[in-house]
Amino acid sequence: MTSQQNKNIWFVTGASKGLGLTLVQHLLARGYAVAATSRNLTELQQNVPPSEGRFLPLHMDLGNEASVREAIEQTVKTFGRLDVVVNNAGYGQVGALEELSDEEAHRNFDVNVFGLLHVLRHATPHLRQQGAGRVFNISSVGGFMGDFPGWGIYCATKFAVAGLTESYAAEVREFGVQASVVYPGYFRTDFLTAGSLGTPRQPLAAYQAVRDSQQQHEQQINGNQPGDPEKAAAVLRELSEAPEQPVHVFLGEDAYQMADYKIAAVQQQMQQWKHLAAATNLSVEA
Amino acid sequence: MSNSKIWFVTGASQGLGLALVQHLLQAGHRVAATSRHPAALVELLGPASKAFLPLHMDLSSEVSVQEAIEQTINTFGRLDVVVNNAGYGIGGSVEELTDAETRQSFEVNVFGVLRVIRHALPHMRAAHAGHIINISSIAALAGTAGWSVYSATKAAVSAMSEGLAQDVASFGIRVTAVEPGGFRTNFLTPESLVFAAQPLAAYQTVRDTHARYLALNGSQAGDPAKAAVAIEQLAAEPTPPVHLLLGQDAFRRATQQLQGRLQETETWKTVTVSTDFAQ
Repeated sequence: MTSQQNKNIWFVTGASKGLGLTLVQHLLARGYAVAATSRNLTELQQNVPPSEGRFLPLHMDLGNEASVREAIEQTVKTFGRLDVVVNNAGYGQVGALEELSDEEAHRNFDVNVFGLLHVLRHATPHLRQQGAGRVFNISSVGGFMGDFPGWGIYCATKFAVAGLTESYAAEVREFGVQASVVYPGYFRTDFLTAGSLGTPRQPLAAYQAVRDSQQQHEQQINGNQPGDPEKAAAVLRELSEAPEQPVHVFLGEDAYQMADYKIAAVQQQMQQWKHLAAATNLSVEA
Repeated sequence: MSNSKIWFVTGASQGLGLALVQHLLQAGHRVAATSRHPAALVELLGPASKAFLPLHMDLSSEVSVQEAIEQTINTFGRLDVVVNNAGYGIGGSVEELTDAETRQSFEVNVFGVLRVIRHALPHMRAAHAGHIINISSIAALAGTAGWSVYSATKAAVSAMSEGLAQDVASFGIRVTAVEPGGFRTNFLTPESLVFAAQPLAAYQTVRDTHARYLALNGSQAGDPAKAAVAIEQLAAEPTPPVHLLLGQDAFRRATQQLQGRLQETETWKTVTVSTDFAQ
């Protein structure tokens, strides 16, 4: 058996740009076989050169369950199995809760949550049958800490990913499948550039804090993010080959700081309000 | 009465919502209470009165939500406290629950809450006051096998409460996510809880977890009447917290979860901080 046959087969969504693209390039350069999906097949093929039959670029529409199922079936048909699933596709949505319409909120959940669930629903049968598999659901540090003005819907989608991944990890552990939720901090991708980031169609003038936050992200943070996507790719590859991957993976010094801050803040609030939390049990009956 | 407030409580015909409305009316507040079954509201809480406005509201219809809030304003003149309480539990593994089952739970537990917030906020902003209380769950903080989609909906509620609290702080509006543990309501009964219609035999662990939860029904430690008192007290606070756990079980699980998370965060710190660009 050649060493290549021992290497994991990867399935990466949202692979035509950002972290997804860097990960696919990183893996192909190291001899892995990768199925990579995008709504934009041409862009994907342009950005990733052909790699001796190890690269399977797939058109996939995350909003369409049949399309997701087909992409996964094609991957299994082509490479014979599926070892590592990376749910990376997703986009940022800015806007106060009051500004964003039902439709705008739904669209963000369609991609970031329901699309990811489509992938899990159709990949999990293969992973279970193999009795092995690794799953990385890319959330965000905004999936752990939500007090960013103007990012309520986005954070809600990413908290949802974190919540479901925790339970999913517990569901599939006995089948030999490991799952992690990944919380990157700010990484230098095009996540914050116009065209990638969703902005409210009907902004309300009253929400100055939201406009300030949006402007700060688009003009100051964008391009200056401390996170190196290449290093994030290396971490995911290493974790996929570690005997045990942690359920929660924070990426970036900023993500570490924010997680630390959030945990301490919640613990402090819990203590401060313990008298209310602990006052609601039924009296013990004799 | 100076402490009397105008409340808007969703999902008021049962469970925590019902206990809350009963308590608030007794305590002299004015309450608009919504349900898909307004007849049940009248049966359980009495006919409409100067203090009580029972309303039919379908959380999945934006128009219905808008009308219920407008009717509340027309009747009571303002809106002080909104309690987004309506919601239901959904059990099943990620693989078992269909897209339709998953979306339905988000439609009520998440998008329904957003609809209420979207239509309540213009009034609260105009009044430069108000408190939005979103009933989340301890499941938002600590996920367990078999409740992945439910955890996801409640984590979303807690997340948007955090963001919203920041968005509207300058308007004098407060936001709290209440995260209760197990309370003795009908939450865990077959009429309330939804399970995957197509279970897979392989997921025995999930079935066992569900059986364990269902067996708890009727012996949950939490007293809904005391939760109602705690929520009334919360709304009277000048600086309420963004998160409020309810129940000793919730406090215990949250403590364990946070300690575990801190430990995991420290254990993996070298990996976490390895991904920045060189300075």
